[in-house]
Amino acid sequence: MYKYSDTDKKIIASRVKQFENQVNRRLEGKLTEEEFKPLRLMNGLYLQLHAYMLRVAIPYGELSSKQLRKIAFIADKYDRGYGHFTTRQNIQFNWPKLLDIPEILHELSLVDMHAIQTSGNCIRNISSDHLAGLTLNEIEDPRPWCEIIRKWSTFHPEFSFLPRKFKIAVIGCTKDRAAMMVHDIGLRIIKRKNQVGFEIFVGGGQGRTPIIGKKIRDFLPKKDILNYLEAILTTYNQEGRRDNIYKARIKILVKELGIEKFRSLVEENFSKLSNKELEIDDKSIKEIFGFFRLPPLKPNTNQMPFKKNQEYQYWINQNVIPHKIQGYSIVQISLKAPKKPPGDATSNQMRALAEISDKFSFSEIRVTHEQNLVLPHVSNKELFNLWNQLKIQNLATPNLGLITDTICCPGMDYCALATARSIPISQKISSHFNNYLKQEEIGNLKIKISGCINACGHHHVGNIGILGLDRKGQEFYQITLGGSAKEDAAIGEIVGPSFSKNDLIDAIEKILNTYKKHKINKSDDFLSVFRRIGIKEFKKDLYDNFTKKA
Amino acid sequence: MIILQKKHEHKNHYKQIIEQDFLEENIRNGSILSISQWREAKHIVQEQKIDVAVEFSSNACSLSDKDEISKAAMVQINFETFKDGRPFTFAKMLRKKHNFKGELRATGHVLPDQFIFLIRCGFDSVEIKEEDRDIWLELLEIDEGLYYQP
Ligand code: HEM
Ligand code: SF4
Repeated sequence: MYKYSDTDKKIIASRVKQFENQVNRRLEGKLTEEEFKPLRLMNGLYLQLHAYMLRVAIPYGELSSKQLRKIAFIADKYDRGYGHFTTRQNIQFNWPKLLDIPEILHELSLVDMHAIQTSGNCIRNISSDHLAGLTLNEIEDPRPWCEIIRKWSTFHPEFSFLPRKFKIAVIGCTKDRAAMMVHDIGLRIIKRKNQVGFEIFVGGGQGRTPIIGKKIRDFLPKKDILNYLEAILTTYNQEGRRDNIYKARIKILVKELGIEKFRSLVEENFSKLSNKELEIDDKSIKEIFGFFRLPPLKPNTNQMPFKKNQEYQYWINQNVIPHKIQGYSIVQISLKAPKKPPGDATSNQMRALAEISDKFSFSEIRVTHEQNLVLPHVSNKELFNLWNQLKIQNLATPNLGLITDTICCPGMDYCALATARSIPISQKISSHFNNYLKQEEIGNLKIKISGCINACGHHHVGNIGILGLDRKGQEFYQITLGGSAKEDAAIGEIVGPSFSKNDLIDAIEKILNTYKKHKINKSDDFLSVFRRIGIKEFKKDLYDNFTKKA
Repeated sequence: MIILQKKHEHKNHYKQIIEQDFLEENIRNGSILSISQWREAKHIVQEQKIDVAVEFSSNACSLSDKDEISKAAMVQINFETFKDGRPFTFAKMLRKKHNFKGELRATGHVLPDQFIFLIRCGFDSVEIKEEDRDIWLELLEIDEGLYYQP
């Protein structure tokens, strides 16, 4: 894992001091709320429905047990004993007090963590593949590149007051587990003629105008990555719209100019403004990669233990995947236990997990964009033992990738912008489809739920997307079908008129019936069926029955 | 208002031209011109070898090579709001693309928290209220000069 250098530590410490100064000036009235807002946002501090919300960065989703313990400590001391893992590999605290924030930031800095650039109109926390460095078909580990980009983007003097927020994701193989195609910039490490470099996408995003990123570069040599990112950001900072907050993201600029014109502006900046000092030499690449080496795993022939315990076997089936080193497994921990808000973990769970990771996974934990956690390096022979310990903490729900593994935003329960609740919807789904065999029969299916058009719950890219709406004070839910956040990224299509909360489960059942009717075999999952038969069939089954009966 | 150049304080030597109609007669050392006035009068500036400033608004930061901005003594960028980040990029362009070597000054709605960013992007000075001096200097003080970017 990456370890802070002295410079990193000093930079973070001086930021804490600066923020303390800003909080004091705000409390003394020397900063207006309007002036304070972008400053606090740059430190991850939102004003929410009930209280402030602090969003802490987990760069590229990687946590040590020590950091997780600190998060648990903060949850207990300054919040209500829990935290919420988000779709951008951050963790949010929903109830901190403004006066406590500098102290919280100080506590975080003691374990090399911070809340810098987790909100505001700047370059946000860099996100990545939660299986980075763990799979065989990877071209290169994306995390060192995330770290290089994290540094470059932190307190960037030129790009801290952009037209709008800016999100970058980096992946290292053809599989996309980071929703890279719906980021402002998506980077994929590729190999061409034995040279490793980046394929670059730009202008993807969700929110009220969902767009899949467009390719701006087929191949960029590694050493140029920061200069190329600067060229894109320079173009965006100059040309991006500032007259209308809904049109300020880079996706709108790319759409309005067209990718060709946008590319030519970027390429011109790239050729004219590139700075030798931003080129990354082999020595520093090597140095950074040194931080991300695997722990000392010894290949062996241990198999996953078989036990006559159904629940355990379900969990092995669903949540455990092989590590690239033989004899080890990657254990995925679902934060979608029945009746729990998706992505929430209590401080007790966090402490227990920290200990479990010390015992079984070299003190390493990963956070996924699907609001789950990962123990990256578990010896096969420990799996049953591990499962027992997870089970005590309610952390062994066997539903990874299944219908109850929903992504869900905080919605009306916490969020000031919400038009409907979203957490109760995911809870309804998880109680209704609680049975593992039923879920397994349905197969891979991603349901994603947002409480308003801002799409924090990724509904546009859900295989089934659910969007909460307000219709004359009543909560209604619009369903989209066929979205995907993976390498075959797609924006879902609206299936038809929305449903009330009470009719929603029934509607989902009908959609599943259509799917089952057309499913050919076990590996024919929801998305492939949808792509084969199109939305019409679903529409017909969902809305026509009713009129036929009448 | 005072001018801060890093931690040093100056008086402002530049003034807006009030009489728009007689640009050529009115122009003198220390005049502040809009970009269109500059386009009209830059030959006089060169002939008479005088120092003038060209002013931009943060929402109209654009230039062409023909403008020969490098011949102006000062460029002043007025922030309509501190949230408008275009001047940071414009400063880079002035320095790197337009070869501007003179004084670059920020005016208008700028926050002391942006002081270091301004300096690092190529600004030399800021115009601020006298009573804000201490906050600006304090934030300059807190900065330890450690950055991730060149
Ligand atoms: C609770 C407080 C939150 C507020 C006020 C908030 C606000 C917003 C807003 C206004 C947007 C739309 C931005 C745009 O389209 O330009 C947005 C997008 C987004 N938010 Fe949130 N959000 C919150 C929580 C969350 C949480 C908990 C997550 C993760 C589960 C999240 C992840 C995202 C993502 C992934 C997007 C889409 C980014 C895109 O447009 O490409 N947000 N949020
Ligand atoms: S999608 Fe809407 S309701 Fe949900 S967190 Fe984002 S802004 Fe709030």
